[in-house]
Amino acid sequence: MRSAWLLAGLSAAIYATLAFATGVWPGEALSKVAPTPGLRPLTPEQEAGRAAYVSEGCSYCHTQYVRPLAEDQVFGRPSVAGDYVYSTPELLGTERNGPDLTNVGLRQPSAVWNYIHLYEPRALVSQSIMPSYRWMFVLRDHALPGDLVVPVPPPYAPPHGVVVAGPQARALVAYLESLKQQPLGPVRRR
Amino acid sequence: MQRARISLSGACARIHTNGTFYGWASVALTGVALYVTSRTSGVPLFAKPLAWASLVLYNVAAIVGTVTLGLGLNNGDQEYREWIWWAAMPLLVAIVLSGISVFGTVVRRSEREMYLSNWYFIVGFVSTAILEVVSALPYYQHGLGQVAVQGFYMHNSLGMWFTFLALGTAYYVLPKLLNRPIYSYSLGILGVWTNLLFYPVIGAHHFEFSPLPWWFQTLAIVFSVGMLIPVWAGSGNFLLTLRGGWEAVRRSPSLPFLVVGIAYYFLGSTQGTVEALRTSQAYWHFTNFTVGHSHATMYGFITFIAWGAAYALLPRATGKPASALATGMHFWLALVGVTMYVLALSAAGTAQGLAWVAGNPFISSVESAGPFWVARAVAGLMMFASHVLFAYNVYRMTLARHTPAAVASALTREVAAV
Repeated sequence: MRSAWLLAGLSAAIYATLAFATGVWPGEALSKVAPTPGLRPLTPEQEAGRAAYVSEGCSYCHTQYVRPLAEDQVFGRPSVAGDYVYSTPELLGTERNGPDLTNVGLRQPSAVWNYIHLYEPRALVSQSIMPSYRWMFVLRDHALPGDLVVPVPPPYAPPHGVVVAGPQARALVAYLESLKQQPLGPVRRR
Repeated sequence: MQRARISLSGACARIHTNGTFYGWASVALTGVALYVTSRTSGVPLFAKPLAWASLVLYNVAAIVGTVTLGLGLNNGDQEYREWIWWAAMPLLVAIVLSGISVFGTVVRRSEREMYLSNWYFIVGFVSTAILEVVSALPYYQHGLGQVAVQGFYMHNSLGMWFTFLALGTAYYVLPKLLNRPIYSYSLGILGVWTNLLFYPVIGAHHFEFSPLPWWFQTLAIVFSVGMLIPVWAGSGNFLLTLRGGWEAVRRSPSLPFLVVGIAYYFLGSTQGTVEALRTSQAYWHFTNFTVGHSHATMYGFITFIAWGAAYALLPRATGKPASALATGMHFWLALVGVTMYVLALSAAGTAQGLAWVAGNPFISSVESAGPFWVARAVAGLMMFASHVLFAYNVYRMTLARHTPAAVASALTREVAAV
């Protein structure tokens, strides 16, 4: 081929066509799926927790998609398209240095566990490699009215004073508790 | 006191990938493309101010992108496009501006034929400009729809950009240093068209067993197998060009980098095809195996090609040689480092996958990967040390002052290599 214009035009046409067929069109079609029955939009506090989840980069180590494989059964039922209707930006993830969190609100319903775990993961799972998120907590001499005191066990508890969950920690735990799969109805046979 | 702080681990992952992609490989390979189009077209660079503006904008994007990611501002956890839009826009403009410079130079060439490298550069710049625009539009990316676009973006940013630029670079530097023509021009052209036709379709293999339509995933796997055609055509073409030229490789400071790049292009890309099969994904998806693979390709292939080009072309452009000792140490530290890194993470990933399939508690997969992460840390330190040596060599090849005698002896060495 001797014409650079022809090469540029032809490759632009081919690439634009393929980009539409394998990027834009699936994106558009799958953006319009109906929500799984029972799925609710997030509350403002859960939404704030989700923003913290995104900002901290939790999804680089935790996935939010359950595969139709035997090894994934511990995490819940296989995910379906309708589960993600209120999930933008998407947080499916590509790595599991930590467990999948699709259904963590059902699997780990204890808020106290979640607070201690965010403050110091090794207080609960000694081999954990998860970073601690202590800056989401406040250290006070005495709890004030309305404070959510976190009972951090020794040796991770501060020498004096109490650990109080900050607004970011409360929002994040609210979001984690919202992660519950809705049961699917009986499978219709075609 | 509530401290405003951002998790280092989350920010580091994003800063690392985007920084190496757009702060390092994109800038280095664009520089090579500008040099090569001008040399192979026999005319000065078209619209030089645009190329300078592109260099400035690349660096603006890299600084703004890195700082904002460090502050926790990002575009969602969308791998390789985490930069917020006002950091991503300068990048897009930089690609378009240098693309205009590359394209205009080829259009005004004095040669009748368009050299093979320029095919790769033109298709790479055109496709990437389209890709960046398409993936930046937010209106059709919600929920699972965004997952589909993310799979598409993530693999196209590698395949349509870095692969095209690195192959175009190798098609120029390899024959130039060996002082012989490329083995087959036709295999090179075959690579252009098959890369262009197969690559855009394979993105969904990052989300296998996800709720994306099953046929869509199957299509991605089929085309991942199709990728063997351009990969084997390209790497075979390079190896046949090298046939009988190993004495030159042994003597040259820059050819070994290209040879490693070609070898990792073949190994890493073939591994990618095998990895895309559903059986492999059932074991290796979500594990460190994937991270090993991406370092085999982005580091072993792309970065080694960029280094080879820098060591080959910078002294020709400036007349200043690199330090032979630092070059040798750079090469061996980087090669041993990346190989150890890929092997360690492949082993770690296999251990993780086997632990999950066996149904052990999750934490056992973390424990089984632990020793391999120590090996990765050692490998990573070697790679980092090699980068410091490269930075020193870039200084030697550009800003440093040299005595005429040193330049002459280095030139003799370079000529004697061929």
